[in-house]
Amino acid sequence: MDTAVDTLVKPFIDASEMWVPDGDRLVHAGGNYGDLTEFRSQSEQESFAKGEGLPGKAWAEGRPVVLKEFDGSYFKRTEAAKAAGLTAAVAIPVFDGSTLKAVLVVLCSDSEDRIGAIEIWENRDDLLMLDDGYYGAAKQFEWVSQHTHFPPGQGLPGGVWASDTPILMRDLGSGYKFIRAESAGKAGLTTGLGLPIPAPGKTTYVLTLLSALGTPIAHRFEIWDARPSKVGQDKAAVLADGICAREGALWSDETQAERRVKAWEGLVGKVLGSGLPVVERGGAGTHGYETFVGLPIYREGQVSRVVAWYC
Amino acid sequence: MTRKQLVIIGAGMASGRLLEHLLEADASAYDVTLFNAEPRGCYNRIMLSPVLSGEKSFPEIVTHDDTWYADRGITCRFGERVVKIDRDRKVVTGEKGDVAYDKLVIATGSSPFIIPVPGKDLPGVVAYRDLEDTNAMIDASGTRGGRAVVVGGGLLGLEAAAGLRLRGMEVTVLHLMGHLMERQLDASAGHLLKADLERRGIRVLTEASTAEITGDGKVEMVKLADGTELPADIVVMAVGIRPETNVAKAAGLNVNRGMLVNAQMESTSDPDIYGLGECVEFDGNIFGLVAPLYDQAKVLAKTLLGEGDVFNVKQLSTKLKVTGCDLFSAGDFNEGDGREDIVFRDPARGVYKRLVIEDDRLIGAVFYGDTADSNWFFGLIQSGEDISENRDTLIFGPAFQGGAPVDPLAAVAALPDEAEICGCNGVCKGDIVSAIEGGAGDLGAVRAVTKASGSCGTCTGLVEQVLAVTLGDGFQMPTAQPMCGCTDLTHEDVRRLIKSQELKSMPAVWQAGAWKTPDGCHSCRPALNFYLLADWPVEYQDDPQSRFINERKHANIQKDGTFSVMPRMWGGITTPDELRAIADAADKFDVPTVKVTGGQRIDLLGVKGEDLPGIWADLNRAGMVSGHAYSKGLRTVKTCVGTDHCRFGTQDSTGLGIKLERALWGSWTPHKVKLAVSGCPRNCAEATCKDVGIICVDSGYQVGVGGAAGMDLKETERLADAKTEEEAMALTIAFIQLYRENAKYLDRPYKWVAKVGLDWVKARVVDDLDERQRLIDAFALSQSVYQKDPWAEHVKDRTDDYTPLADLTLEAAE
Repeated sequence: MDTAVDTLVKPFIDASEMWVPDGDRLVHAGGNYGDLTEFRSQSEQESFAKGEGLPGKAWAEGRPVVLKEFDGSYFKRTEAAKAAGLTAAVAIPVFDGSTLKAVLVVLCSDSEDRIGAIEIWENRDDLLMLDDGYYGAAKQFEWVSQHTHFPPGQGLPGGVWASDTPILMRDLGSGYKFIRAESAGKAGLTTGLGLPIPAPGKTTYVLTLLSALGTPIAHRFEIWDARPSKVGQDKAAVLADGICAREGALWSDETQAERRVKAWEGLVGKVLGSGLPVVERGGAGTHGYETFVGLPIYREGQVSRVVAWYC
Repeated sequence: MTRKQLVIIGAGMASGRLLEHLLEADASAYDVTLFNAEPRGCYNRIMLSPVLSGEKSFPEIVTHDDTWYADRGITCRFGERVVKIDRDRKVVTGEKGDVAYDKLVIATGSSPFIIPVPGKDLPGVVAYRDLEDTNAMIDASGTRGGRAVVVGGGLLGLEAAAGLRLRGMEVTVLHLMGHLMERQLDASAGHLLKADLERRGIRVLTEASTAEITGDGKVEMVKLADGTELPADIVVMAVGIRPETNVAKAAGLNVNRGMLVNAQMESTSDPDIYGLGECVEFDGNIFGLVAPLYDQAKVLAKTLLGEGDVFNVKQLSTKLKVTGCDLFSAGDFNEGDGREDIVFRDPARGVYKRLVIEDDRLIGAVFYGDTADSNWFFGLIQSGEDISENRDTLIFGPAFQGGAPVDPLAAVAALPDEAEICGCNGVCKGDIVSAIEGGAGDLGAVRAVTKASGSCGTCTGLVEQVLAVTLGDGFQMPTAQPMCGCTDLTHEDVRRLIKSQELKSMPAVWQAGAWKTPDGCHSCRPALNFYLLADWPVEYQDDPQSRFINERKHANIQKDGTFSVMPRMWGGITTPDELRAIADAADKFDVPTVKVTGGQRIDLLGVKGEDLPGIWADLNRAGMVSGHAYSKGLRTVKTCVGTDHCRFGTQDSTGLGIKLERALWGSWTPHKVKLAVSGCPRNCAEATCKDVGIICVDSGYQVGVGGAAGMDLKETERLADAKTEEEAMALTIAFIQLYRENAKYLDRPYKWVAKVGLDWVKARVVDDLDERQRLIDAFALSQSVYQKDPWAEHVKDRTDDYTPLADLTLEAAE
């Protein structure tokens, strides 16, 4: 199918890139930069030592990192980023136990009409508190989030934390009583994807991607379950939940056949087989969207889940 | 040609599927009119739970929207109730008018069962059946910090609870039975589910009976039968459903629990009327899960088109739609003669699997935490095929069939160096191998170097396997005696596990200790019951079924099946009134033998079981309580007369004995405990062969422990010298509590002291004053729960238990 992009809809994320360890450095391993060709070419030349730059910091600290101000920071590609209009980035490390497998970095640009949220929650004193987040123009929602905490099981972050499972929530602000619903509704946020981010230390991290209709983080979200306790001995995954702007609900109930992919079958299978994030632009398997981003989540030495979003 | 008129009452999932089959096979066969009391068409009702939680939106679960009905020419009368069926005229009367039918399908579904308690009709009490109920719950969750009480710990109740919790409410689940989803799960899986829900912040109360719902104009409180009060902003009744048969009954159709239909879904009383879905009863069965409803729909579509088909009742499986909870249950998993269990537990992953086999066939399965092969097992249950050839590896699922049984050493050898062996201390296999290669040649050395197995101890076996894999012949696997055949853990391992992991129920221990049986055996259950009540006196509830007959009956069973009854005589002191009451009781109940015991009290031997409550009541009235002569607990405190009467007495030995007995009685201990206090070193109370023996001397009290005068003969060892009576009591109580907390079940104190060493005991009871006080406080807490006279309790509440039913002589005596 041809790529179908609604040109009226501005994406919340401008670029996604993947960095993988090679010896003592992180090297570029793919990405989608859209039209930001200059930034792309500089990024492809770049590499990071542990603790260096944003990906290196996520590696060194063993945790996801949000950076909202490039000037004067540890960000290495500041000038190129500024030239590309990028103003914020989030680095999401993929750890298998204490071994870093990759770092996924998403980059966003600031504008008055970019609404969305990429949040990192961490547990402190048995509550999930906001560590940091990038909200674009959703300033009021940002303020509310900074003053919200979640006990286990409550809200999207608390639910992800308690169940150790990615969760996809709908209709965040429209008529349903999502915990931050009122301000989410005002901000136009509709869909929320929460996922646990395993890290080597004892702190639990939960990443949430909250998407608005006008400037969506993604048009399609999928959560795949790859645990052996769910799929058996084969390296495979079943679609646990998903929603698509064009196809609607993607899940199947208990009376329907499961959607299942094996390792290396399609893009989700590539994530499963390689054990690495996959950022793919266009082509087969992106369901007509421009970009596929697939993120593996590790548990007990193997990929337990794959979370995918299509922008 | 005029098409036949088909009227369907109810637009639920069953009738929705019927329409799909019918229209697909012959779209022109009928003109269809569809009534629905709900103001909407067919939606996937089983997905309401994720709508409640916010994980789905309602539009996503709509099966047939307005366009679907319009495109197929179906006349929809949604939001309109059917008020009458005139079978003679073949007319259905809705709230807005009549419709004639040639064929009528009644698919009215089910209605929720509301428990008949005061306050059930208050605003804020909702059932959980349809979108309106769901929206009411979502609205209630809009209040920050709102509190929900869900009555019913079945599928629907738990899904409601999880949804409300995700919405931000403080949620309590009340379940009348001992464990959640008792129809679908056994106690072990129910325990794991409870723990899973509690991790989400949901409070679960089992054996909770709702007595009343109160509130001023709206629900405010739920009161339980035990007096517990739970504030509530919403109460969700999810205790069950019953077939909705009002319309069918009013039409004069045959209705039992549900509307009676035959295998073609025809009403048994009218050939032009059919039943479908949760409102029907077929062959004694009613239906609550969607799979048989879809089967019915398929059969009924064929029936309506004049084709032959037959509805059969099949085995059903259950899944819970709570994100992150993986459970599966199918078939019959109750225990029974001739049935065998195969149990697999993986405590680290929270996995429990149980297969029930009868006559070489799989008849039931319960899985928690690993449901990967559930469909394969479900197929085996449905097919009833002979599994005897694969029995040894069956529990491992289809991937293992035909292979050799798994060798645990091979599995350990295959583990990578990064594989975590000791979760408590974060020790990987590589760390252990390095330690072994560095010279650590046994478990103790590995533990000293790496700390592996040094905390909860559950990985001890794994560490030993790593030793065996690494050292080969150079390592001799220890042969520690496991607690029983249910587990590989020793008693000491289990006690350590209970404390370190704060396990507070038997199912929790079975899971964490990887029990190989579903619910223990006659050997481990009494021990576990003691360990749990000793460590968690407040949280754990004593399980009488896990006690030996003597402790259940609160009397010693004799070889002829009669019992002995022995009232307590504090410090061996009695009164003429007590003696008269004992004599009267002996006369009244024809007690053949009255014996003065070595413990300074009087034993009534030969009492019939049915007379126990009566004789206890008489002795209670005279001020006497049970002497616990049957229990693993304090028996007697033997004393001499001391300074009151004896010219050699140095202290008030009788007084101290009475005080000790009054402090210690009623406590449960690993084995029986006997004390004595002698007033001088002449030792008339024979204190030097007791579990705790105190010798009074001029300078105070010599407290000895660990004596024996039974199968073994042993003199006490001096624990400490106390200057005051208070100190002597403190030392004694602390010693008893330390024994309670650490000894193996059925080890007398002398055996336990020999194992741990007297110095270890002294360090805690004598030298460490903070620890001594902690032990005393812990004992006091336990006594606040357990220091009760069982005679009085049983006379009051359990007299019926003593009515003779069976020959009890075969049960194990103490």
